[in-house]
Amino acid sequence: MGDGSVHATSRLGLFKTAALLGGSALATGGVVTALAGRADQAPTALDARILNYVLRLEQLKAAFYEEAANGGALVGELQQFAELLARHEQTHVSFLRQRLGPRADDERTYDFGDATKDPNVFAQTARTLEEAAVAGYIGQGAHLTRPLMVPFAQMCSVEARHAAWIDDFLASAPAPRAADEAMAPADVLAVIEETGFERG
Amino acid sequence: MSADIERETSGPATDLTLEQLDGDGALQESIAGFYGDTRAGLLRKAVIGGTTMLATLASPPALAAEISKRNDVRIFQYALNFEYLQSSFYTETERAGTVARMEEAKAVWARTLGAHERAHVKIIKQVLGDAAPKKPLFDFRGNTESESRFTRTAVAMEDLTTALLTGVTPALRSQGLVAAAFSLLTVEARHAAWARHLAGIVPVAAAFDRAKPVSEVDRIVASTRFTSTLVPRTTARMEPKFVG
Repeated sequence: MGDGSVHATSRLGLFKTAALLGGSALATGGVVTALAGRADQAPTALDARILNYVLRLEQLKAAFYEEAANGGALVGELQQFAELLARHEQTHVSFLRQRLGPRADDERTYDFGDATKDPNVFAQTARTLEEAAVAGYIGQGAHLTRPLMVPFAQMCSVEARHAAWIDDFLASAPAPRAADEAMAPADVLAVIEETGFERG
Repeated sequence: MSADIERETSGPATDLTLEQLDGDGALQESIAGFYGDTRAGLLRKAVIGGTTMLATLASPPALAAEISKRNDVRIFQYALNFEYLQSSFYTETERAGTVARMEEAKAVWARTLGAHERAHVKIIKQVLGDAAPKKPLFDFRGNTESESRFTRTAVAMEDLTTALLTGVTPALRSQGLVAAAFSLLTVEARHAAWARHLAGIVPVAAAFDRAKPVSEVDRIVASTRFTSTLVPRTTARMEPKFVG
């Protein structure tokens, strides 16, 4: 898990362009609409279950990063990370809700405790959540119908980028193997439940 | 929601449920040690899906069943040529002594990417068997000799292979190969993010990664003049076009 230290400002200078790039990339409403519009058929029952499963992960992460980004406890690169990921995950949530329509599961409430207030806990938690998401996405991609597989792959690689970013920040191996592992839904959800963040 | 839609069963594997997917544990042991991955922690709790598929596919009998479709062969042939490009690039950079001159963190990155791309070549060659193209000749035009040029090229190459795999994965017909491709896709995305982080560029530019079709990827490859094309030479049996 690296040394756990938070060298929050060391790369700040290098990331001056990050906000700009992020900002331009975050005209996301159009992206969501375009992707949602591409798949003209409704999700199958299995599609819907898989989308609701990743919706649960994405919703938790969106809320987590939003609270952290607005909480004032983070500085430098970690703050940029939290802000950018809050927007990415919210975009994923919007896309998934759009595709699911009335079949989308209800929103949950969360209690993140110290994880959004202490930079060290935040970084370690982000790493746990991102790695679980990557493994969870890999495990389900092949089970989707083709129209959904395209945006799913586009989100999956973004989750892998998130994971590598926070891994490298924590001085942990960003790409620890030549082929990534998949995780079964029950194991991914066990990781989520272990955090104790979900309140209902 | 209408019952008709709930009953709709087009596409692969719609008879599977998430609970049934959980039951794939019998395959878990087959992957142990295949990639020499010993990382402790949450990812070791379960090993199903992508990596297991890759391990299984690396044995000829499973492979013959999975790669029978011409579309999938063509896609994996292109992917192999791209992996040849990457592995040759990293290997040449190491041999030129450029990696040895890097600071430690960067050298670890460069060596790791080289090792991964060489592993990908090995895996995909096994999957393709006799249909595997031979390694093309590359001319990296001095980009392996300077750290800054190497880094810029590596960032572009990793972003490009991520876009390639994001584009071709959903176009594969075989569900097993799709699962395998997902577990390579995320590794290339990790490489890209790691490369960008080291280069001081935001590791992830958008909420959805670009997916590029083979034709667009190949135009970009040709523009580097490292090689003229990565499209495998066609034979009478292989049509020179990609489907999807």
